[in-house]
Amino acid sequence: MVLLREGLCPGLSEDMVKALQGECIRTVEDLVSSDAEELAQKCSVSYKALVALKRVLLAQHTAFPISGADLYEELLSSTSILSTGIPSVDKLLDSGLYSGEITELAGGPGTGKTQMCFSVAVNTAHELKQNVLYIDTSGGVCAGRLLQMLQAKTSSTAEQGSVGGGSVKAVIVDSVSAVISCVLGGKQTEGMSLMMQVAFELKMIAKDFNIAVLVTNHVTRDGNGKLKSGLGQSWSHVPRTRILLQRVEQPGAASSLRTATLTKSSRQSCNLMEEFNLSLQSEEEVKSGCSGKRKFNTDS
Amino acid sequence: MQRTVASSPLAPSVKVKLIHFGFHTAADLLDVQPLQLCKEAGISQDEAVEVLQTLRGDAQSDQQEAASESVTALDLLHQEQIHSGVVTFCSELDAVLGGGVPVGKTTEICGAPGVGKTQLCIQLAVDVQIPLCFGGLGGKAVYIDTEGSFVVQRVVDMAEAAVEHCTLLAEDEEQRKALEEFTKEKILSGIFLIRCHGYVELLAEAYLLPDFLAKHPEVRLVVIDSIAFPFRHDFDDLSQRTRLLNGLAQKLILLATQHSAAIVLTNQMTTKVSDGQSKLIPALGESWGHAATQRLILHWDGPQTMMLPTPCFAVSKGELPTLQTLGRPVLKGTSPVKLLYDLCPMLYLSFTMLTIFS
Repeated sequence: MVLLREGLCPGLSEDMVKALQGECIRTVEDLVSSDAEELAQKCSVSYKALVALKRVLLAQHTAFPISGADLYEELLSSTSILSTGIPSVDKLLDSGLYSGEITELAGGPGTGKTQMCFSVAVNTAHELKQNVLYIDTSGGVCAGRLLQMLQAKTSSTAEQGSVGGGSVKAVIVDSVSAVISCVLGGKQTEGMSLMMQVAFELKMIAKDFNIAVLVTNHVTRDGNGKLKSGLGQSWSHVPRTRILLQRVEQPGAASSLRTATLTKSSRQSCNLMEEFNLSLQSEEEVKSGCSGKRKFNTDS
Repeated sequence: MQRTVASSPLAPSVKVKLIHFGFHTAADLLDVQPLQLCKEAGISQDEAVEVLQTLRGDAQSDQQEAASESVTALDLLHQEQIHSGVVTFCSELDAVLGGGVPVGKTTEICGAPGVGKTQLCIQLAVDVQIPLCFGGLGGKAVYIDTEGSFVVQRVVDMAEAAVEHCTLLAEDEEQRKALEEFTKEKILSGIFLIRCHGYVELLAEAYLLPDFLAKHPEVRLVVIDSIAFPFRHDFDDLSQRTRLLNGLAQKLILLATQHSAAIVLTNQMTTKVSDGQSKLIPALGESWGHAATQRLILHWDGPQTMMLPTPCFAVSKGELPTLQTLGRPVLKGTSPVKLLYDLCPMLYLSFTMLTIFS
């Protein structure tokens, strides 16, 4: 809904704007959906000018269709896949985080969401030499832990400290539920709209700048006591892929074992589950990880 | 990308009117004068001026602010190395926490009654004041007490023990000089005690803390003991409680990062029954579990207290460290009565009452 302003397009002068406003035509939408002949009579504006104006505004503000084949070509050339650094999770995500999409990690406290975000950040910065924007809302960023993970990949301090020259390829928001859940619900009317605005902005960032967006979410229990991701039904449509993390509760299992379950995906069948270890990945695991279709080769 | 009217910090009624009359983004309001806006959108002159100030001011300062506030991981590493944590005088606990309670983050301590949460908090309030040359932070502490479990005599004991401990450690001239100022009186005067009755007072205090910390920049530790107590009784609307707690957690983490303070919260335990089995879990619900950056769960294992930190900082091989006694140097001259005091302050108080009145 764009307001009609002088200079919005050639042919839209101030007098015309004033005349149109007199007839309650304030926005482009109002103008385009009105009847030109009737309007020309009421506003005493020339019919030809009005029709030309409508045409120009329509051309400026319509979306143009794009053929499937062109779209496919564009996707092939511009999409990149970022590995998470954990091979079993990469398997779940069909080789990694796709750019242009939002991926969500949900899990209870202590299940490894922040650790996995660190893994993605370190992997992107080190293996792909691209920048990562990490938005932290709970103070969980610990540079010492990032250094630990980096030291597992390379022992040269020069490489550890080097500044990546690339552009931002991943945006990690940890966690989106911490800031939004306090405005949702109750008598507050704006919470839902703020949440959808955040979702919109994240999607635009992902699409326009070709970035992989990773968000983390908390979990709640539904009526039957089963775990589900937080922030409700409206948010559940926002991420393209969702993963639920849980601790492994078997006796005798290491305390750093976690399971990841795919709860929403457009590429794989849902409810696939993989197990992985949060403690530092050893070299064997990195080497034996499966390589996806378009993953950068990791030479270790 | 333009700032939309709907996402800007204006009153909801003003926003509704603006959107109704077609002003959706900051760009729509670029050339509009306050009087014009007033007439078109039907809002008062003051509101129109405020709207234009907010939306126009935002456009320039936002981008600069965002760019200047971001920090690289390397800078963060240097900052972390400079700001060490608050030691607890229990080497195993310090080892698990990675050098003590971290500054700039919120730490939650959960445990059954009597396990030592308040004692640990009081110990931290004393330890944060240890001078820099001894490896401490040399700062002050704010202690928010919601349960009434803060006993001054205990602080005096711990302060005396801390001074004694540092006296034994003093090696060079700088340390001896710092020791002259590090006295029991100074330690006691470096703890700001705030007593909150109920959750409304606690929330109000959380609103006032940023100003307080701005006036007292040497405060490096804020303890809230406990955060569970005011929220656990008298609350009918649990979803409101979750919202309030989440909002409080966000305020606290903002405080921690802006003022480089360590924030310690104490939580209680509740029983969870599932599949016919019951186990103790931290109170205040599942969503509260995400609020604190680090969580320490203390529980009994025979005569010793064990702890389970979650999430852990790449802890050794999954063994649980044990806490022999909290703050060994503090329990100097331990008589059975004093030991009783450590474990159960209320019993100690009733014991003293008995001896006074007998």
